[in-house]
Amino acid sequence: MLQAILVSGVAMGAIFALIGVTYNVMFAASRVMSFTAGQLGMLGGVLGSLFILRVGVPVLPGMLLALGGCALIGLATEIIAVRPVLKALDQHLYVLSTLAFALMLRQFTAIEWSTEPQPFPTLIGLGGGFIDEKFWLPVAACAVTIIGLEFLYRRTLVGRAFVAISEDNFAARALGLPERNLRMLSFALAGAIGGLAGFAGGELMLAFFENGSVLNFYGFVPVALGGLGSNRGAIIGGLLLGVFQQAANFLVGGLFVSVATFVVFILFLLLRPQGLFGTGTARRV
Amino acid sequence: MLGYGALLAAAVLLPFVADNYWSSIATRAAVYWVLVSGLNLIVGFAGQLAIGYVSILTVGAYAFCILPAKLNADVPLAVLGSILFGAVSGVIVGLPALRLRTFYFAMATLGFATIVTQVALAWTDVTGGGIGLPAPELPWPFDTSLGFYVLCMAVAAFCTWMTANLGSSRFGRAMVAIRDAEVAAEAMGVDKKRLFISIFIFAGALAGLSGALFSSLQSYITPDAFTFDLSLLFFIGVLIGGRGSIMGPLLGTIILTVLPEIAAPLVAWSTFLYAVLLLAIVLLLPGGIAALLDRTNRKALTSGRSITPDLSRLSALLAGAGNAADIRLSGVRLSFGGVHAIDGLDLLIQRGEVHGLIGPNGSGKTTTLNAICGFGHPQEGSVTMGGAPLVMGKTTLRARAGIARTFQTPRIVGEATVLANVMLGGDVSGRATFVEAALNLGRNRADERRLRARAEEALTAVGLGGLGDVRADRLQHSELRFLEIARALMLSPSFLLVDEPAAGLSPEEIHRLGALISAIARAGVGVLLVEHHADLIFDICQRVTVLNLGRELAAGTPADIRAHQGVISAYLGG
Amino acid sequence: MRLNRREFVVAAGAAIAAGSGAGSADADNSPILIGQIPALTGSSSDPGIGFDRGVQFATTEINDAGGVNGRKVEIITRDTQGDPSKAVNAVQELINRQKVHAIWGPANSGESLAVTPIMAKAKMPNLHPCVIDALIDPVKYPNAYRVATANVQWDGAAVRYVTEVLKLKSVAIVADTTGYGTTAAAASEASFKNVGIDVVHKALIDSAQPDITADMLRIKSSGAQVLVLWSVSTGLMSRIINGRGELNWDVPIAGHPSLGSGQIAALLKKPEYWEKVYQVSFKNACYDASGKLPARSQAFLDKISGKIRLDDTNFWWVAAGYDAVHLIADAVRSTGSTDSDKIIGYLNSVAHYPGIYGTYHFSATEHNGFPNDEVVMSKANSFRNGTFALAPGYT
Repeated sequence: MLQAILVSGVAMGAIFALIGVTYNVMFAASRVMSFTAGQLGMLGGVLGSLFILRVGVPVLPGMLLALGGCALIGLATEIIAVRPVLKALDQHLYVLSTLAFALMLRQFTAIEWSTEPQPFPTLIGLGGGFIDEKFWLPVAACAVTIIGLEFLYRRTLVGRAFVAISEDNFAARALGLPERNLRMLSFALAGAIGGLAGFAGGELMLAFFENGSVLNFYGFVPVALGGLGSNRGAIIGGLLLGVFQQAANFLVGGLFVSVATFVVFILFLLLRPQGLFGTGTARRV
Repeated sequence: MLGYGALLAAAVLLPFVADNYWSSIATRAAVYWVLVSGLNLIVGFAGQLAIGYVSILTVGAYAFCILPAKLNADVPLAVLGSILFGAVSGVIVGLPALRLRTFYFAMATLGFATIVTQVALAWTDVTGGGIGLPAPELPWPFDTSLGFYVLCMAVAAFCTWMTANLGSSRFGRAMVAIRDAEVAAEAMGVDKKRLFISIFIFAGALAGLSGALFSSLQSYITPDAFTFDLSLLFFIGVLIGGRGSIMGPLLGTIILTVLPEIAAPLVAWSTFLYAVLLLAIVLLLPGGIAALLDRTNRKALTSGRSITPDLSRLSALLAGAGNAADIRLSGVRLSFGGVHAIDGLDLLIQRGEVHGLIGPNGSGKTTTLNAICGFGHPQEGSVTMGGAPLVMGKTTLRARAGIARTFQTPRIVGEATVLANVMLGGDVSGRATFVEAALNLGRNRADERRLRARAEEALTAVGLGGLGDVRADRLQHSELRFLEIARALMLSPSFLLVDEPAAGLSPEEIHRLGALISAIARAGVGVLLVEHHADLIFDICQRVTVLNLGRELAAGTPADIRAHQGVISAYLGG
Repeated sequence: MRLNRREFVVAAGAAIAAGSGAGSADADNSPILIGQIPALTGSSSDPGIGFDRGVQFATTEINDAGGVNGRKVEIITRDTQGDPSKAVNAVQELINRQKVHAIWGPANSGESLAVTPIMAKAKMPNLHPCVIDALIDPVKYPNAYRVATANVQWDGAAVRYVTEVLKLKSVAIVADTTGYGTTAAAASEASFKNVGIDVVHKALIDSAQPDITADMLRIKSSGAQVLVLWSVSTGLMSRIINGRGELNWDVPIAGHPSLGSGQIAALLKKPEYWEKVYQVSFKNACYDASGKLPARSQAFLDKISGKIRLDDTNFWWVAAGYDAVHLIADAVRSTGSTDSDKIIGYLNSVAHYPGIYGTYHFSATEHNGFPNDEVVMSKANSFRNGTFALAPGYT
């Protein structure tokens, strides 16, 4: 039973971690925390099921279509909900615009797709029991994403441009970096990452519209735990959360899992608001 | 005022012209408004995004149903219970706002909503679990639909009145200041923690009461009645109504309650429509319904205004200042990481004198000013006022101590009127308590009269008289600088710290600014003037200190400084 | 709103004028208004959609035959989305504005608990299919009648099957963490213990729990001989069925009617996992070992064939909606009136009503109309035209 808890905990944790990375990538590009991160995860699963099961596309093209769809949604988030409010000095506006957009995605999916969980295809058909692909696919996706992002940020010009606009916006613009295009690209990338989380986790979570709200919160916890902007922190936070959640489910039962998780989360936030790896607040005056 | 009267008339007439169905919808809108009126203070005024507020409704509703069912309490006691439990949970849910950033706090409130629902589901012995509890029977005449309607309308009207009182009191101004100009609010002595606790208790109490009324409306409560959609209705109602307004969110709540009833075929899409509405408001009309209703601020302002201070008003304004003779910095050292922002500084600001502080960028001028105000902890040295040490890190104490300041970039509340912005400066002198303000009792009325009169005097003194009712964000940049000074004067300060006030002013305005500051000093105030504008410094300062790399480069009279070789080469050029 | 009054006055005047010769109180041809408050959208909307199909069919059937005493039946539908607040609003509208003569529904527990007292206060005749036991109380709610089974009857069917047919001694009860799940699990546990069956394990699992391997291992190690499932979540139930299969654990599963739904079929890893799963069903909706339905049910199926879609719903939902409308129509036809007292009086004297869904018995003291012995278990993987095969072993 311990093995079952660990295996499923690590798998779920990897999904949560990837959503945390989605939050981070969006934040890095715009200093905006977007409520759409969880919905992108949900759409990864729904679009995957739609293309592969309903439309009948083979697995690999289906995955590309699903990720592409999510990248487009990420792009749409930037255009509709983020760009218009960036100029406002007000913090609260982006919370509202992304919340509104996330709700629209959720409700639209509920009405047009289904309010019940729909099946998600078996992608490769490898493994069974504790090495069933539904457990290690999310972990593999997580590893690929982290390695990919590292490569992107350190070795490619575009990646370094991303880092530049997130670290010092003014300097980057003064250097002539096309800030708006880079931001759009960043949101598209974040969309793809979120979609990958949902796609890789589809066999576990099924294609269910309610996944969005679940992932929104449980994908945010790694960010809060690990520190905003730290992908490493998001991975660690996500894995810890996944295992904690499965252990709590086993020990205290389904009714109290979310209560236990929320209470621990809120207490942690109050004690250390900047997370494990985050930096403190900047100069205020 | 007219709007409230119209709504009240409509409420009175409704049962006579419409059937029970519309009365029940109106009752529901009133019940929701009881909660939203309190939430409006948290979200609309104080700017804290409490999205998951249905949790308090749940607590109040269950308290109202559990007390009679399990403890044989009678209805009035149950109502009291719902108010008390609501207030307590309001504080629990709200307090993280003091520590957490916007998005994090919003997430935390969502977490609380889930926790409360899960507890209601699990604690079967007390809450009835999934089956829930019936609401207790209300005593006659409230058990009839007309009686209940009247009760809910009366409670809603009372809540409207209370929150309107609070909104226009110093508490309302302080809340809005914390939302839009938190640092300035601190400098004016607003205690964020105390204020927040008061609002959370108050809003929680209203939400708890709303829960009791909600239970009676539903006649039976189960955990699944307290949906995320309801939380959204409350939250979006405040925002489409417009922040800082009472009438706006009231209309917003009514609209959102009635909307699904009018558009029956759209009921499946109702939440989608709420979201679209929210997005539309955020993108197109961030001020919400209130912005549409606000006609006064669309009238054109006279152009070509000039700022003409009336210096004769100053002595009356500054009469109540304290006794401290000076502010003294001795050997102060303040570093940020490896940067020595202030590296061993002695400074003396005397009453009745204008002391200039100049130096190149990064020399530590603003840091010095901030240190005096308590932003930042010097690692070494002492900062005293009248011989007694100033407590570091406690910026809110400065206002009461008699130290006022302005800011390098004006920190004002754009959405509030000029007069309200100035009245914020007098917050520490307010004597009415939160409850007295909510009920608009004598002390609150006296406070408001006094603060208003004083603020008008201050505006005239700095030359902005007649602009009191204008929205502050419509003023020109130079007028904002003078506004900050008027706000500072409200404190009857013993010391005034001014941070680069001349930036962005025309030569004529700089001249008047100089006259104003000199007059303030002559009235007995010790002024520290941080400036780049050398002419202004040499015109009005009695003493000048030049900083370079966090240390004093030179100090003395303006004549001394002008001749000082080091100063000329490092800073003045010549 | 004022228009309504004017219309009413004109209509009343016309009625008086027209009825000056007749002596009957109901000489007008105004329609018989039946309000319906299903959850047509949102989660848990499958029953509502099924009921609605039966309701609409019955209405068309009655109206095509000339109506009731010459009056047409008109259905006024309000979608509540399963939200108790919307249900309260809908009931207020139906009672006060639409002035319906009877109401059918709602099905979800939260909604029913909220609207039942309101309908009682208005003395509105109410037929409903909700299973919560507390909703029926002839003293508190003399106007409310259950045209479906109560939760306690579902428990009874499961208990009877375990003790009399399967002849097993120990069960594990698994439910979801919703309001229905928590109460159903508690009630089921009490029912089993009452007849001396050992409840070796009781688990409440969140329906969003993505992987239940650990829970399944724990349940298996408890040594239960039967797995009893009470949940509305197809996701959870399919995970449990898959889990049983993957662990190669050969125990029967018995429980909630949704165990037979097509959604579960889609979520199963292997079709053979669906063997030995038995769900609560109703005699009239089950075909026997030779594939024959009871005569009345077959006749109904023939009647609706091609007119109502059955492949994505349950026979008994459609039948229940159909029966409800006919019951009300019969009440009006017999008493010649749509007054609530008359309808309630009629319903109180329904000793034996041969509906399609079940044979109902109501009296002044018994408002639970569905007989115990018509609640049976059926085979989950035997769906045909909305009906199921009777579970093996019944005599």
